[in-house]
Amino acid sequence: MFELKPTINALMRSKLGAILLILQLAITLAIVSNAVSIIQDRLTYLNKDTGYPEAEIFKFNSLNFDKKLDLLQQVELDEQTLRGLDGVIDAAAVSSVVLSGSGSSGGLRLKPEPQESKSVNMGYISGDEHLLSTLGVKVSEGRDFTAADVVVIDESDTQPSVVIVSRALSDDMFGQGNGLGETLYWGADPLTIVGIVDTMANQWPKSSFGTKTALVPMVRIGNFQKFLVRTEPQARAQVMRQIEELMLANHRERVISDVTGLDQKKARYDAKDVLMMRMLMTLIVVLVVVTALGVFGLSTFNISKRTKQIGTRRALGARKSAIVRYFVVENALICSVGLVLGGAAAVLLGQKLMNWYSVPALGYHFIATTAGLLLLMSLLSVLMPALRAANISPSIATRSV
Amino acid sequence: MLDMKAISKVYQTEMVQTHALRDFNLHVAEGEFVAVTGPSGSGKTTFLNIAGMLEPFSGGQYCLDGVDIGKLNDNARADLRNQKIGFIFQGFNLIPDLNLYENVEVPLRYRGIKSAERKRRVEECLELVGLAGRAKHLPQQLSGGQQQRVAIARALAGRPRFLLADEPTGNLDSLMARQVMELLEQINREGATIVMVTHDPELARRAPRNIQIVDGRVTDFTLYQGRSTETPLAAGG
Amino acid sequence: MFIHYIDLAWRSLRQTPLVTFLMILAIAIGIGVTMTTLSVYHMMSMDPIPHKSERLFSVQLQTMDDGETWLTPDDIPYQLTYTDAINLDSLPGDYLRAPMLRSGFSVHLNTAASKPFIEDTRVTGRDFFTMFDLSFLHGNVWTEEQERDAAPVVVIDEELAKQLFGKTDVVGESVFLGERRQEIVGVTKKWRPTIKFYDLNNGSFGKAERMFVPFSHVKAYDVDTWGNTNAWKFEETRDFNDKMNSEMVWVQFWVQLDTPQQRQAWRDMLMAYMQQQQKLGRFNRESLQYSLQDVNDWMSYNDVISEDNKILVGLSFMFLAVCVANILGLLLAKFMRRAPDVGVRRALGASKRQVFYQHLVEVGVLGLLGGSLGVLFSQLGLLGVRQTYNYYAGLANMDWMMLLSAPALAISACILAGLYPAWLVCRTTPATHLKVQ
Repeated sequence: MFELKPTINALMRSKLGAILLILQLAITLAIVSNAVSIIQDRLTYLNKDTGYPEAEIFKFNSLNFDKKLDLLQQVELDEQTLRGLDGVIDAAAVSSVVLSGSGSSGGLRLKPEPQESKSVNMGYISGDEHLLSTLGVKVSEGRDFTAADVVVIDESDTQPSVVIVSRALSDDMFGQGNGLGETLYWGADPLTIVGIVDTMANQWPKSSFGTKTALVPMVRIGNFQKFLVRTEPQARAQVMRQIEELMLANHRERVISDVTGLDQKKARYDAKDVLMMRMLMTLIVVLVVVTALGVFGLSTFNISKRTKQIGTRRALGARKSAIVRYFVVENALICSVGLVLGGAAAVLLGQKLMNWYSVPALGYHFIATTAGLLLLMSLLSVLMPALRAANISPSIATRSV
Repeated sequence: MLDMKAISKVYQTEMVQTHALRDFNLHVAEGEFVAVTGPSGSGKTTFLNIAGMLEPFSGGQYCLDGVDIGKLNDNARADLRNQKIGFIFQGFNLIPDLNLYENVEVPLRYRGIKSAERKRRVEECLELVGLAGRAKHLPQQLSGGQQQRVAIARALAGRPRFLLADEPTGNLDSLMARQVMELLEQINREGATIVMVTHDPELARRAPRNIQIVDGRVTDFTLYQGRSTETPLAAGG
Repeated sequence: MFIHYIDLAWRSLRQTPLVTFLMILAIAIGIGVTMTTLSVYHMMSMDPIPHKSERLFSVQLQTMDDGETWLTPDDIPYQLTYTDAINLDSLPGDYLRAPMLRSGFSVHLNTAASKPFIEDTRVTGRDFFTMFDLSFLHGNVWTEEQERDAAPVVVIDEELAKQLFGKTDVVGESVFLGERRQEIVGVTKKWRPTIKFYDLNNGSFGKAERMFVPFSHVKAYDVDTWGNTNAWKFEETRDFNDKMNSEMVWVQFWVQLDTPQQRQAWRDMLMAYMQQQQKLGRFNRESLQYSLQDVNDWMSYNDVISEDNKILVGLSFMFLAVCVANILGLLLAKFMRRAPDVGVRRALGASKRQVFYQHLVEVGVLGLLGGSLGVLFSQLGLLGVRQTYNYYAGLANMDWMMLLSAPALAISACILAGLYPAWLVCRTTPATHLKVQ
């Protein structure tokens, strides 16, 4: 009923048009499936839970330039002011800001230096006992920091002795579910894990060690100090607006800068990925449009070239549906060949991209889904010209030219 | 077989109405071989198109083999064309992408005939027109006469009881024309009804019954059937 | 004849408006996408200082012990230790050279009316300005004495001068960097290279600094870096002095070497320096290693062109190939339908070559139209890039070279697509299509 064999024969005899369509569909499939795979990868990352209520937290910097100022006292005064504000849940001076793409990283080891041992890369943030509450995270095992844990650098010669880590970090070092109470070494200095937080991204969530985070109960004051503040969700904007004035009221000789929500900080850190995603989506959309136009254009031309033969077929007793079917089947055949070739090209391109760049392996389901959608698109694009073809009057057959 | 009563056909363009056929009456009985002549623009092609259900008509009644065509929808008309009518066109209208075998097979496929039966019939028809050995050739590899013979084979493949031929020899030289005509006569002897439009008086004379269309109306020469060789015919333009 | 062909092309295109529209759209979209990604690529890969990029070298020393690895392909750290930077700066020879780092200060005029603001600052040597082509509007760079004595001086650019004082001629005025009052000795012309090639540590496309202070301030006023500090081994650093004496790397160093002789001399000096340091217990390595890379090598070593952009450029060219295939198909169909006309032309005496050219001119016109529309599309694309990622604001632009290459690329793509159809149609034998069909 589908006239497969004669359709194939007819195709073989007018090769070039078909080859061009096959080529277009093949390349389209190769590009689109790989692009979709990359988009999917970025989306997974962008939607990944960081563990923080980003919309409730904001950060700011304070750069003091009064050399005579007691910085520690000033920071404590600032923290008190912040914590006392309406709508503020908690606040802390911190060494760096999570999700921001800048801060300190290093290796924590199983044995003290200089012994050889396993070491894990992580991002660390230090602050006082308000750190977890300010970040809006809770330990799922162990305990939070207490005031007694906190070490103020420059005041004494002691080093912090405890640490709270993310589950990803403790699992990596001590195996699934272990880690609480174990000791890690920062250089030669021991740190006991007193708490584990399930989900807690560090300053570089995109990096390979983005989920491995350590919180250290340490206060080290410098001229340039970062603060984190967590507020009631609806109060954040209003608190952010008054920060500069409030801080300057506490002490004039400084600059308050970069009063930014944690969600905006993350958006800035992710902007490159969002850009890549948008570019790829645009590419996919216009590519599919162009390919659809190609199918549409070629079918239209093919049909106008075959007006006479369509009339003849109608005269010989073809129903309209048979004419539509002919073109649809012809298109489906071309499309299938293109998609099979395109599938192979997609796998090849995926491998090349993976070898050259940090792109994830291309899942075959991306190719299959894309191929299915392309087939659908191709058939839709041929439908209109085919329906027009079906309306060609059979009386064309008796006209002499 | 074919029964047209008061058929009219009006072509409506923006400015003018053209009456291609008016009050057109014709009866063709089973087994007849009718030649239709007439000057250019007289309505020959319109008549053929309506007879073959290639075009709708504006008024009147047309019954083919007892079926009232006016009451049929497009699909039913297509099926009826496929089953009862064989077409032979002036321009041959072979499908250039298909080889001879596939061309002859086209109407059989639309009828949904099984592959083995199709093969038998196609080979039989190609044999009949003397082109069995060239089944794999493409139309453009053949001469005009050969192409028209393929077209006849295609028209016959469906074993139609009614054959419509539009200037079947119009594009052929006289030798080829004679061969084609002989073929048609043979088919007619085997029982098919043939209506042939032509402007070649010599060809028309060979048909047992002649009708002439002038200005969209029929002039029947059936009466002269017995001495058709002597009938002076107006040659078409 | 050419004009005649253009006229014919125009008529032909107008004859089949739908197909012409489809073809122009296809090429325009293809060019639009390709030029968008290519423009960004072009801006990223552009030589930022063409006339001397081959004479400016970034210096790297392998300070790490044997067996240590780094993120770089050759395992040599991007930056130098403070000690090495100071030592290289005092090597003999009159080569222009500049140790440098990025820092920042709260800047104000110490009046009630002036609100302090944070200003990124380049801490560097005197030669920086000559090496990187900064020119002075007023005053000049600080003197050698001022550099040696860490005199409280500063150079700012015209924009910052206007922001602070409302005018550019502010030599002799004072500005406060935190608590410290510093005298403005020079005002430079605005200097904003698109790529921050002299310091690629914190993003390649950051803004260039508008304020400059002598490198001797690092030691004199404890000026720490605002860029990266990297350690490769554990060292106790209790204060800034410890940091300056540590093996941590946080200082960049550039040198200008004009001739091969100078380059060789510098290489020899570097080697000798490392051997001398080895005697002091540093550079615990089997073989000493350093690296000198000119501006362009340095940019590719630092992966200035992002991976994403390379992928996008690759994909867009594949995309363009789809568009070319698309147009080829449509042209084929269009030209073949016109074969009868061509038969008549041939019968009237047109040569094959003339028919061929006539059709190529037609596809050329198509390419020109598509290319122009494509430039419009790519402008939209670049606007989208700038809005999504304003860090790329300086990059997502078309310079005149890209503007011209868009139609050139479009015409080439169209002609590539048109060659075969034009060849097919010019082979039409005059007789074939003159017969009645």
